[in-house]
Amino acid sequence: MPATKKQIIQILKMGGLVVIPSDTVYGLAVDATQSKAVEKLLKFKERWPGKAIAVFCDSFKMASDYAIINNNVQTIYTNWLPGPFTLIVEGRHRLAKGIEAEDGSLGIRIPNYPLIIEVVKEFGRPITATSANLSGHRPHYSTTSFLKTLSEKKRRMIDLIVDVGKLPRNKPSTVVDIREPKIKILRRGDFITPNGQTFISHSAQETQKIAGTLLSKIPQPIILGLSGDLGTGKTVFSQGIGRAMGIKEKITSPTFTIYNDYGKFLHIDLYRINNQEELMELNIFNAIKNKKVVCIEWIENLGKTNLVKLTQIAPLKFLTFKYIDEHTREIKL
Amino acid sequence: MKILAIDTSCDDTCAAVVENRKIITNIVSSQINLYKDWGGVVPNIAKWAHKKRIDLVINKALNLHLAPSSKKRESINSIDVIAVTQGPGLAVALEVGIDKAKALAKQYKKKLIAVNHIEGHLLSTLFNHQIAFPALGLTVSGGHSQIILIHSIGDYRIIGETLDDAAGEALDKAARILGLGYPGGPIIERLAQKGNKNFLKLPKVLPDNKILNFSFSGLKTSFYYQIKNLSPQQISSHLSDYAASYQEAVFEQLIRKFRLAVEKYQPKVLLAAGGVMSNLELRNKLRQLAKTLNLPINMPYNQKLNTDNAAMIGLTAYYKALKGEFVEDIDKLDRKPRLKLDY
Repeated sequence: MPATKKQIIQILKMGGLVVIPSDTVYGLAVDATQSKAVEKLLKFKERWPGKAIAVFCDSFKMASDYAIINNNVQTIYTNWLPGPFTLIVEGRHRLAKGIEAEDGSLGIRIPNYPLIIEVVKEFGRPITATSANLSGHRPHYSTTSFLKTLSEKKRRMIDLIVDVGKLPRNKPSTVVDIREPKIKILRRGDFITPNGQTFISHSAQETQKIAGTLLSKIPQPIILGLSGDLGTGKTVFSQGIGRAMGIKEKITSPTFTIYNDYGKFLHIDLYRINNQEELMELNIFNAIKNKKVVCIEWIENLGKTNLVKLTQIAPLKFLTFKYIDEHTREIKL
Repeated sequence: MKILAIDTSCDDTCAAVVENRKIITNIVSSQINLYKDWGGVVPNIAKWAHKKRIDLVINKALNLHLAPSSKKRESINSIDVIAVTQGPGLAVALEVGIDKAKALAKQYKKKLIAVNHIEGHLLSTLFNHQIAFPALGLTVSGGHSQIILIHSIGDYRIIGETLDDAAGEALDKAARILGLGYPGGPIIERLAQKGNKNFLKLPKVLPDNKILNFSFSGLKTSFYYQIKNLSPQQISSHLSDYAASYQEAVFEQLIRKFRLAVEKYQPKVLLAAGGVMSNLELRNKLRQLAKTLNLPINMPYNQKLNTDNAAMIGLTAYYKALKGEFVEDIDKLDRKPRLKLDY
């Protein structure tokens, strides 16, 4: 049985080292305000102290107690956090030595992982968010694979392991430096948004993950209007939405049947629509009613009057898809 | 046994009369001139306007447009069973056929049979052929691409299907990419006859021999972005070559996966049906495959049976009638837009 929240907090309080699962990889958590605990972590990781260690916060509010978070940053990232991002910001030098980098910057993570959010909230201060590995080694998706890489001595340094089995193979977080007006991406994770509105995907899998994350940020019911050229990933994105909603059926292109109904999810493709008369015969407004999420490919074929009609049924969000190169697509909100 | 069959699963309004395994009439709305046959009373109507067309199409299937003295006129009283497509297909379209079939069955006190559209395509190969089991079927059209293992009529297992676009859709979209309009499968075929199929390099999709599924979306994307950067002159000077290369890539995948399935499941006979089967190049490729594997292959015997039609629904209903598979409560029959073939 995995450790309880109470146990985790107790160990953290005592300056202990906890192996903890997250929305990306397994992490190493210690109290980020306790010097002794952080020293132990650095020793364990064999990490050079000048390099920053990211911390988990439960909210922007907690983050702004320890770092300078300007309003601009908050508005951009409010939609995407909690999520797999590490924001590099200016620290307030209130955390233990070794957490902030030499230049005073601090990495903040608000993870999309309820266990961590709850622990940090109750603990009342940030905990470290570094990945469970030794410096320079790859991160781990299961505790057994991590433990295998450790010497007996190292193993004894760990005070608690929160084992939830194998984590899904999500990449480590995307690291963005937001101290300057021009945002810099320092590490590419599963998905990247230079400004909170644009996502760059490097594969169909990534596009599906972007869809899933987006979905978790938007209140439902919602209609997603997808526009973009052939082969830019509109159907792949819709598949990601369906997957994220727990639909087990194969989600295939509805070009021919115009729409596929998966219960709470409706997948429409207006590619074959030539005129408004044809659209009338389809009675799609009726089909949209009572759906949680609707994806409409080739929304540009809907026409202005119908667009207005659509917004009366549920809020509408537009997404545009663009081809960058063979494997790369840009998705813009 | 005379069956009046109705199919309104997608774009076409279809009705047919079949007697046992013989086709009496087979009417498809896009292939008849409603305007001419009905003296100009029917306006040019939109795609999916099944409601406006259904009575005309059924009446034509019953030959009611002929002179009252004509012996070909079919009285609805002489019909034994009414059959209708229940799915898969476009919800609002299916609804029209089902409502009509229910109304007719009730009004004339006829038995009703609900048919799966894909089973219809599969069995459209049996009008003039016998089947042996297990059989392996390939159905390819604008809406689906499946490999189906058939243990007996009514007992099916889908062992491969498309993960994204259907094969027919892939061909149609390529035609649009080349600026040839939609649907464009037949145009691609015509151009491809004169083209060099090795002209354009396209990826070999799903090379893993364990996978029996299809995927055409990557092919389409690769094609699109290779064509996109060309000038209209460059495209038009090699139009046939582009069409041939693309068509070859689509068919190569269909044949490769179908062959793998044949080797794995060792069927006694092959079936191939669906709109894309109108393509002579694909038919030849399939015949060659059957010959190499020393297996018989059944394909629909005329062009009209490849694309959506109601005669195939009538034949499927005939097999179901022999097994007594009638709709028990007519009022409760409802469309199933995502109806599956295997259970």
